[in-house]
Order: sequence, then C-alpha cells, then structure tokens
Amino acid sequence: MADEQKPGGSEAPLPAGGEAAAQPPKPSPPKPAPPPPKPPATMAATPWESDLARDLKERFGGQIGETSTYVGQNFIVAQPEAAVPILEYLKLEADFDYLVDITAVDWPKRPERFDLVYILYSFPRNERVRIKIRFPDGYKPATSVGVHLTANWLEREVFDMFGIEFAGHPDLRRILMPDDWQGYPLRKDYSIIQQDQRWVQENLGIESGQ
Amino acid sequence: MTAGTLLRKVFLVDLFQGLAVTFRNQNPKYMVTEQYPAERPKVAERYRGAPRLNINPDNGETLCIACNLCAVACPENLIVVGAERNEQTRRKELTTFTYDLSRCMFCGLCEDACPVDALELTQDFELASYSRPGQIWDRKMLEDGPQPKQYKC
Amino acid sequence: MPDSTFLDSTELVLNMGPQHPSTHGVLRVILKLDGETILGTDCVIGYLHRGVEKIAENRTYTQFNPYVDRMDYVAAVSNGLGYCLAIEKLLNVEAPPRAQVVRVILTELNRIASHLVWLGTHALDIGAITPVFYCFREREEALNIFEKYCGARLTTHAFRIGGLQYETYEGFERDVKAFCDMFPAKVDEYEELLTGNRIWKGRLTNVGVLTADECKEYGVTGPLLRAAGVKWDLRKAQPYSGYEKYAFEIPTRQNGDTFDRYIVRMQEMRQSVRIIEQAVAGIPEGPIMGKVAKVIKPPVGEAYVSIEAPKGELGYYVVSDGTTQPYRVRVRPPSFVNLQALDRMVRGALVADICAVIGTLDIVLGEVDR
Repeated sequence: MADEQKPGGSEAPLPAGGEAAAQPPKPSPPKPAPPPPKPPATMAATPWESDLARDLKERFGGQIGETSTYVGQNFIVAQPEAAVPILEYLKLEADFDYLVDITAVDWPKRPERFDLVYILYSFPRNERVRIKIRFPDGYKPATSVGVHLTANWLEREVFDMFGIEFAGHPDLRRILMPDDWQGYPLRKDYSIIQQDQRWVQENLGIESGQ
Repeated sequence: MTAGTLLRKVFLVDLFQGLAVTFRNQNPKYMVTEQYPAERPKVAERYRGAPRLNINPDNGETLCIACNLCAVACPENLIVVGAERNEQTRRKELTTFTYDLSRCMFCGLCEDACPVDALELTQDFELASYSRPGQIWDRKMLEDGPQPKQYKC
Repeated sequence: MPDSTFLDSTELVLNMGPQHPSTHGVLRVILKLDGETILGTDCVIGYLHRGVEKIAENRTYTQFNPYVDRMDYVAAVSNGLGYCLAIEKLLNVEAPPRAQVVRVILTELNRIASHLVWLGTHALDIGAITPVFYCFREREEALNIFEKYCGARLTTHAFRIGGLQYETYEGFERDVKAFCDMFPAKVDEYEELLTGNRIWKGRLTNVGVLTADECKEYGVTGPLLRAAGVKWDLRKAQPYSGYEKYAFEIPTRQNGDTFDRYIVRMQEMRQSVRIIEQAVAGIPEGPIMGKVAKVIKPPVGEAYVSIEAPKGELGYYVVSDGTTQPYRVRVRPPSFVNLQALDRMVRGALVADICAVIGTLDIVLGEVDR
C-alpha cells in the first residue's frame, strides 16, 4: 500500500503489482487542498438566566461550569465534587425534593469520559433541572443516597452498566446483570454481541453465547 | 355498631352481594369463550401476521421491484433481497427474497416502507413449523403463504 | 441484608424465587423472616434484562420504535407515546391536532387496559379468583380496538415520530363510544365484587403503608403517590399531547395503604373513560403526520421527556449526536423505582402481605429490567 503520495506523481514509486507497471505514471493536476475538517457539532444550548441559576452561581461560584437551556430544558454542568452539595442545596433551599433519575453517558473520545446526569423535579415549583458532572474513567463520585433515598438502586444500575463506582454507597453490587459478570455493558467499547464468554461457559454449559 | 351494621355482618351481606354478581354472570348469553380451533377468531383487516409477497393478478408477475427499502427499514435486518438487472427493460428484477420469520417481531416497518404494496403482513397467525430452518421463508413460500394443515374437529 | 447476625436461629431466609405465580413476572425476593413477620427483603432483578438501551444505540430512531413497546408490555401504547414525544422534542416538531387527539384516545384506552390487568392479577394474588375473568373480558374489547387500528393487540407500535402512521379505521368512533358506554357499568360490577367485601378490606387496609414523604424520598410516582395524598399527575402538571383540553380529576386518598391504591386506580379508570368521551366527541380533521423528514436526524442535543404512564412517571432521556442513530437512550422506568420502596413497605408485615404489596406496586418486569 502506498504510504506516501507525492502530488504530481511522476516519480512516485510504482505500487507493488500495480497496473501502472507498463506505462509511466501521468502527472496529475494538483488537487485543491482539502477543506479544513469541520469542528464537531455541539449542542446549540443557550444560557439559562433565572433566579435559581443566579443563586446557584452565588453559592457555588467557580464549581458551576455553565448553566444552559436546550429545547426549553435547563441544565447545569458542575465540578464532580460539587454534585452532592448541589443536590443537598437544591433539596433543602430550592424545594427540588424528588430525584427523578441518575444516568450516565459514555463519551470515549473525551478525556473526561463519563457524563453523570442527575435529573431533579420540584413539586412546589413544577420545574425540572438537570445536573451534569464530567469525570474520567476511574474517578469515584460521592453517592447521593444520603440526600435522596431513591439513589440507591439508580446508582447501582449506573455501576452495573458503566462501571462507575460510587464512594460511600451502602450496597454497591450489580443489579441487572448476574453478580459475577465481567465487563460493563453500556460502555461504548463493549460491542452489542459481546458476551462474558467465561460466564456463559460456566453457567450455561455451552461454548458461546451466539 | 348499629343494628343494621351488626345484621349485615352476621348475615354475610357483603359476601352474598359478590356472589350475586358471579351467579348473574352464569347466564349462557354472557359466555365469551371462543372454542378454538373449531372457531377461529376473525382478526382485523390491518392485523400484522404472516408476510406475503403479492402478485399482480393480471399477469401473474410479482409486484416487487427489488428496491430493498424493506430490508433497510427492518430493525432486525432479516430480509435479504436478491435482484439482477434485466438488460432489456433496464430494470432490476427480483430473484430471491429471504425473510427470517424466527426473528421477526411483526412491527410492520417493512410493510410501511414498501412503495408498491408488494410486501404485506396478512391475517395468518398460525405460523408454527417443525424446524428452525422452516422459519426462514424463501420467495415461493412468501408468495404462496403459510398453509397449515387443517384437521377436522 | 440488613442487620443479620450469623448465629441467630430464629431468623429464616426464604427465597420467593423467580418462578412464582404472585410476583408478576420473574422477580426474585429473598425474605428474611422471623416466624411470619418479615424482617427484611432483598429484591434480585435482571432476569428479563434484554439490553434495550444498548440496542437503541445500534438502531435508527424509527427502527427503535417497536422495541420500546416491549418494555412495559402491558401498556405498550404509553411507552410508544413517551418515546415519540421525546424524539419530537429533539426535532422540535409537534404532532398535528388530529394525531394528538387519537393519541390521547389510544393512550387512555391503554391505561384502562393496564389497570384491568392490575386489578385482575392483584385480586388473583389475594385470592379472589373471579375478577380476573371479568377484567380480561373487558380488556378484550379494548384490545380489539387496538387490533383494528394498528394490527396488533399487545405490542402495538401504534405511533410514529411526528404523528400517526395509520388513519383511524371506519367505525373507530363507534367502537370507542360503545366501549365508553359499556365500561362504567363494569367498573361498578368490580366494585360490587370487591370494595365492600370484608375479606378484601381485611387483607388490604393498613398493608404496605407509604406516606407522602416516603414516596417523595423514594421517588415513587403514579397511583402510589396519589394514594398517599399528593395530588400530582403529569397530565395536569406538565400536560403533553393536548391533555390540557380535557376536564378530568385526579383521584387522591389519604392513608397510602393498599386499599387506597385500589380505590385510586378504580377511580382513574372512570376518569379515563371521561377523557376518552371528551376526546372522541370532537376529533378534528386534518393531517395525521407532522413535518418530519424521511430520515430522522435530530441536531446534536439531549432532552428528557416524561409522561404519566399507568405505572408512574415514565421518562425518556435521549442524547443525540447528529447521526441517524441515537447516542444514548435512557428509559426511566417507574416500576424499577417503585420496586425500591418494597423493602420499606413490608418491614414488619406478615408473609401474606408480600403478595398484596407486590400486586399493589403494579410492576411489570419488562420495565423493571428493560
């Protein structure tokens, strides 16, 4: 295979077994420079201005990265260590007493691989807000079981699917997959037909899952 | 407790009320059991059952134009359309059409995608077969449809 | 397992295994008992885990639509509604008014169908064998309407992103009106069988009490929250698909025990009939599909949309990276979060109450495990 391509090509080394062995290579017109690669598209989020956003920024200062809105849904991005204090503040001061969901998204190409998303809802205000924290593989975020009891199983599922361990969780073990499964299924490097071959052979007695 | 409540309690009035409902429903006109397989249920027109490849009734040729849209639409990728180009009419003609019924979830996306109404999910729901390969239907089976053995009861 | 001492001989660990007629699916509950009193429970789930969220990352948006029905398979239409609403939010389109009204009719019929399964199986677990037959008889009528509309009874795949695929069939309004006329008398029949019955009341009152504060802490939503006294329903709080146009009430009760949840769900069925009557009285003419491209490619972004499913708050958090396949679809299952509260509800109760409490939680394992 051609490792280098000289523009012009008249003295290019002939490819091994190539068809151009009979004729001398023709000089090709100079190609226009390829356009610079477009930056990857990002979410078209607009900044979120409200009392709540201002209070949070005042209270947590530099630990809040951005407060934005996308399609009418508000979210804030915070430093990983500030997640539980923000949840506590929102529960006690701002009436966000219902933790709807905890989930994670895996962006393997980023150095901060995981995005942990907390979705909160406030009954008195009838409002939803999302808190996102970003951290690399291996970081152990603090558990929010002390703030919201519902986080128990939700964090267990995030651990089971992504391998994110929560420091301080009372009972961190796999919830959906069998207890001795190796691998974390929802990570992007776990292919969809990959199975834990060892588990399948030991427990089901067959050669492979497929 | 008042006299009324005590009497209701002792004479099990609430239990008899429930029994009255049950006995009322014993009337034969309320029987809704279908005696399958003697009475087969009449399924709706839009029922998503067995797939069929439709044939043009006038000339007996298949309606399928081998556009492959059904295969692209299928979430399970279980349709394989084989086509070859006919040099005289300059069009693609259908040669083989394979449909894997064992993985089909009868969602109807292939039926929705077909532009000429060649692939259709019909009302046949009796699709059992004796072997796994028997569930992979080729073009002939798709055009004839499933023909389950009918036994007289 | 909480507070276990190795040498204590009065405690018995009993396995209520994945195959059990009362667990509504493959749910394994490990009970720690002292005689007949329950000291603690541990739920083992995952027997029905099919990796739906992983599958979503490998299908296009339209192709993933049929998979969504299979999570809460008893109320498949609601699942489809939530998913379509989430993708429509990302695409910033809205379904046309005719599609919205038909969606409401089918979703409320589905709510009635789901509550009928709940009532039949819950009564069956307690020991009342008759209601299950009557409930399934009514469910047939609702499922017949689904079959005539979209071709399938259970995994309906009724909605598409942007609207509906199928126009309503000839006689749709007549069938739905006939159902609405027939149904309230049947609810009266169920109540006649159960509500005044002393055995029913004895088995259900003060069993599985969950107060409003505990509900909010555990994130429990749906009829459990309403039976505890919190008048909250997503159809009124954050209306979607045109629900703000219909007049209906939110039934609530005070005690938060199993009997209250029974009453709340019976009244919800009646309110659903009310909504369907209002909706079918005026289905507007017009297109049934909004302006959606053939190949769905939402811009980069994310959205969380939730609806009031029969079991609670069903939410979809969809992250899109600009391609035709979603980057991440997270389903917030109400049954999973409600099941967490099982431990709190049965502490100190008797073994016989476990079946009542699992029945009243109204879980569907397909949704718990996805």
